[in-house]
Amino acid sequence: MTAPPFSETRSALLDVSNLKTWFPGDRGEVRAVDGVSFSVSPGEVLGIVGESGSGKSVTGFSIIGLIDEPGRIVEGAIKLEGRELIGLPQEELRKIRGRIISMVFQDPMAALNPVLSIGTQIRLALEAHERIGPKEVRERAIAALAQVRISEPERKIDFFPHQFSGGMRQRVAIAIALLHRPKLVICDEPTTALDVSIQAEILSEMKALVSDLGTALIWISHDLATVASIADRVAVMRSGHVVESGPALAVLTRPQHDYTKTLLNALPSRASPGELLLRSAGVPDAAPPARKEVPDDVVALGSPYLVINNVVKTFAKPAGLFARLQFGLAGAKPPSASNAVDGVDIVLNRGEVLGVVGESGSGKSTLGRMAAGIIAPTSGSVRLAGQPVMSSGTMPRKVTTRIQTIFQDPFASLNGRMRIGEILSEGPLAHRLISRGEAPNYVRQWLAAVGLDPGYANRFPHQFSGGQRQRIAIARALAMQPDVVVCDEPVASLDVSIQAQIINLLIRLRSELDLSLIFISHDLSVVRHLCDRVVIMRRGRIVEQGAAEAIYARPQNEYTKRLLAAMPMLPRSVAGLEPATGPL
Amino acid sequence: MFGFLLQRAWQACIVVVAMSVLVFCGVHAVGNPVDVLISPDATQDIRASVIAQYGFDQPLWRQYLGFVGRLIHSDFGRSFVYNMPVSELILSRLPATLELTLAAVLFASLVGVPIGMYAGYRPHSFVSRAIMALSILGFSVPTFWFGLMLIMIFAVQCGCMPAGGRGETVSLFGTEFSFLTADGLSHLVLPALNLALFKFSLMIRLARAGTRELMLSDTVKFARAAGISEFTILRRHVLRLISIPLVTVFGLEFGSTLAFAVVTETIFSWPGLGKLIIDSITSLDRPVMVAYLMLIALLFTLINLVVDLTYALLDPRLRKGRA
Amino acid sequence: MSDTPFSRFLGDFRKNKVATGAAIVVALIVVLAVIAPLVTPQNPYDLAHLVLRDARRPPGYVGSAGYTHWLGTDSQGRDLLSAIIYGLRISLQMGVIAGAVAFALGALVGCAAAYVGGRVESLAMRLVDLQLSFPAILLAFVMAALFGQGRSQLILALIFAQYAYFARTAHGAAAAERQKDYVEAALSIPLSPWRVVFKHMLPNSLPPLIVVATVQIASAISLEATLSFLGVGLPPSEPSLGMLIANGFQYLLSGRYWISIYPGLALILFIVSLNLVGDQIRDQLNPRLHR
Repeated sequence: MTAPPFSETRSALLDVSNLKTWFPGDRGEVRAVDGVSFSVSPGEVLGIVGESGSGKSVTGFSIIGLIDEPGRIVEGAIKLEGRELIGLPQEELRKIRGRIISMVFQDPMAALNPVLSIGTQIRLALEAHERIGPKEVRERAIAALAQVRISEPERKIDFFPHQFSGGMRQRVAIAIALLHRPKLVICDEPTTALDVSIQAEILSEMKALVSDLGTALIWISHDLATVASIADRVAVMRSGHVVESGPALAVLTRPQHDYTKTLLNALPSRASPGELLLRSAGVPDAAPPARKEVPDDVVALGSPYLVINNVVKTFAKPAGLFARLQFGLAGAKPPSASNAVDGVDIVLNRGEVLGVVGESGSGKSTLGRMAAGIIAPTSGSVRLAGQPVMSSGTMPRKVTTRIQTIFQDPFASLNGRMRIGEILSEGPLAHRLISRGEAPNYVRQWLAAVGLDPGYANRFPHQFSGGQRQRIAIARALAMQPDVVVCDEPVASLDVSIQAQIINLLIRLRSELDLSLIFISHDLSVVRHLCDRVVIMRRGRIVEQGAAEAIYARPQNEYTKRLLAAMPMLPRSVAGLEPATGPL
Repeated sequence: MFGFLLQRAWQACIVVVAMSVLVFCGVHAVGNPVDVLISPDATQDIRASVIAQYGFDQPLWRQYLGFVGRLIHSDFGRSFVYNMPVSELILSRLPATLELTLAAVLFASLVGVPIGMYAGYRPHSFVSRAIMALSILGFSVPTFWFGLMLIMIFAVQCGCMPAGGRGETVSLFGTEFSFLTADGLSHLVLPALNLALFKFSLMIRLARAGTRELMLSDTVKFARAAGISEFTILRRHVLRLISIPLVTVFGLEFGSTLAFAVVTETIFSWPGLGKLIIDSITSLDRPVMVAYLMLIALLFTLINLVVDLTYALLDPRLRKGRA
Repeated sequence: MSDTPFSRFLGDFRKNKVATGAAIVVALIVVLAVIAPLVTPQNPYDLAHLVLRDARRPPGYVGSAGYTHWLGTDSQGRDLLSAIIYGLRISLQMGVIAGAVAFALGALVGCAAAYVGGRVESLAMRLVDLQLSFPAILLAFVMAALFGQGRSQLILALIFAQYAYFARTAHGAAAAERQKDYVEAALSIPLSPWRVVFKHMLPNSLPPLIVVATVQIASAISLEATLSFLGVGLPPSEPSLGMLIANGFQYLLSGRYWISIYPGLALILFIVSLNLVGDQIRDQLNPRLHR
């Protein structure tokens, strides 16, 4: 057993040593957590940072004793105030959960029970550890809601989860976690599903709450910046191990381990705009295949090219008796009006990258889908080089191949039943960009151009990782030889190091192919890095637009100012960060 | 809530009207509607008088109105076979069928759901596997064959249960019920078990599937993280969540159990509606068929209405909008 | 073996030994039913071969024709084993014909509704829902009451009762697929609607339909047997398993159990196997169980 890596000035509240949690898999044990040691002092905030698969969440669930079968803790010790938790009977563990250690999850909508009122859910959590009468239950519940700054708690207590917004739901979950004043709260990506501004609020409130209550916190996140803004100490995890740990400021400004350096260097906020990240990691050597013929109506670089004129998209509530009946019975939700677009004008110049920034419900994705010709606007027009992008009529169809799209989720955007070769050649063949004989070679060229092995053409999507799939999706869009590419959150579901590679690839291909990009994102730092101009959207309208530099330096609109202020920041580096040399 | 209720009631009306049109058209499509009302060996005079009485010389839409009018007055004509008013005939048989169906459905739900929840809670235990094996058998064995086996084992081989009939009944609110006497109850057990088997297996499977999925969900994990005991989680969180699909299926299956009662009643000589309808199909006693179909349609709409309302009570997402 | 989605599916399926066994049983029964005239010792419905002296003999009886009746004989002296295999043939025919037509019809209605959308979709699916709440056996009664008994009436009733399940499932699957990014990606290229529906949406909507198909064929066979047992199904000239069981019913109480029991066991074996196969596919498709 290895000793905890920190000298303990105070006696530790939680002491985890050499923890190993494994899951049996098809090819032997998956060592999700493989020898992790750390300790948490009373009232301390420990940030655990890592990419997906690093074992950070499993570590959290191991501590609270909620590892899903058939996973198990094979070795190690978890000591809470000196008492060993591993091997405790379930009933003993239950008495600790919620009372001494509690937990907050990523998605509050999934964590809260949709058919029980908030009051009932709080009551069940209270009654788990105390015998109290109904009157006191109600008082305590109201106090708990007030504590997490929910207005009118006397009324809201009878609400159901769906009646709250995402941020409010997470506040309810936090209220439940804090009910019994636990000594330790484990937060597993608690702000990841929330908008930036809500995230900032929750972060600062959480910080205040734990310091008021003297509660220790384990804050698990993939996001270095949020961890930096809340944690006293940080542990960096990678494939089941803690590779580096120490005081937050020290780790984030003077990282010792190569992996930590890689994580930090992968952040676009630490590089100058447009620069390749991580020493050009993931940029392929091969050039994309040459475009056969350039259409003669292509304008000069910098001239207006794609013109979006006063587009409106409304999602009609299902009208009529039968429609409503159907939605009622199927339990399906009618499309909400919250992602509508309400009169937007945008001019995209040829060769520029335009960032579209907004929080959820701002209508940015709907705008992107209209720009790409996937859905027709209710009114207004989208024209490329003067030509409409979609046909008119009752069932409008896209009529150009010169705008293509890259989607957010690489696991959903590829048809799992088609081979990569077919996915890449299907469009070009259908539009006669290439002949059937040329197809195999064309596919190989594009695979090489996005940095994949040209021999992958015969494989299926399930054989690739998220980053590789996103490369395939990029190749599919670019193989159509477009002038404009709409990128809808193309890096949002990727780990930072993979995200850096995809950003590099986009930078490279964009300059080689003179592409114009519409880059839709909620991530202000990625937009800053990639975009020449920025449009800020809110509730279906543009609130501010202009050159990226100007907007980030001198925002004019109140909403933009708030958005920028809410952006979590890493502490500025004191000693200069040397470039990472470690493997990715 | 009131709007919702109104919608459903309105929809129920549409269904009943649609069903009456369907039955009306069906009866007319088969041939001369006169045949539906009088026996084939009736004399020409009787035929003529019936045609005049029911207005078969009138245009179709007037005939339909007349048909509806008779429905409202529950005048379905006379059964050829039993030679009595159909409405009386059906009303005399209905309680027996309802008793049998209710017994079966209640047994299936009250016993099936807890068993299914257990199997979903511990999906890999030996007992759960045994439960699932039995439920897939129960799901697959045709009702009639299971009935035969019940009779053979319990009535013929061991002789401990009666093979058929309703046994001694007690009058309650003017109708006869079996379940209040020991003899009647013993007559009820086998048919109810027989009729319940399929629904019982179905409830087990549904409850298991729902519980199994939910046990892996964040909702249950979060409840566990709050220290709530497993029993409370199952009783308050899981049961509440799975009850929504269960109630839906319960409603659908109540109707289908009512229909399948035909099989059980035939095998166990249970004097209910089912035997009546089979007899009327085989003996072409059409007035009885028409009445039966309309009654079933009415019952169905009622059940659906009740299910929809329960559904709305169980799922708050259907009740109020976002605050 | 190459790593295709189908081979992965097959690999996962094989891990469940019970389901694999069930799949083999289903395959065997289908083969047996198809080649029935070649394997049965007797054509049970060729009256020339029936000897009344052999009637109601217990299993193992050596009949006048010189061969052993392994499962005994029925009330008319038929070899029960042969009768069962022929009965399976008829049951299977009914199930497969009704299932196939209902599958095609339901997939068409469901996919078309999902593709067209709007009021047409709502209305069509509402009707399907209403019909779903109407039990199949009752529909069969209605059909029998309105159109009389017979093979085509029964198939019609089965189709009419079952297409709604396929339509519901196809609609759900297609509507879900329609929302997915890969379909949007195909529309963004743009590929023709025809190609999007048949090359992208349909193959991905197929698996849940296959599950429904196994369950519905099983329930069609069971329903047909039930109706035949009640005497409102197939005419006596087409003796399915249900009718064999019904014919043996009267002898059950006198101890000649085999006439009813063996056909019943054959029926159950087939239905259980089909349901086991369907169950395994359903479990494999459920994403919520693979986290």
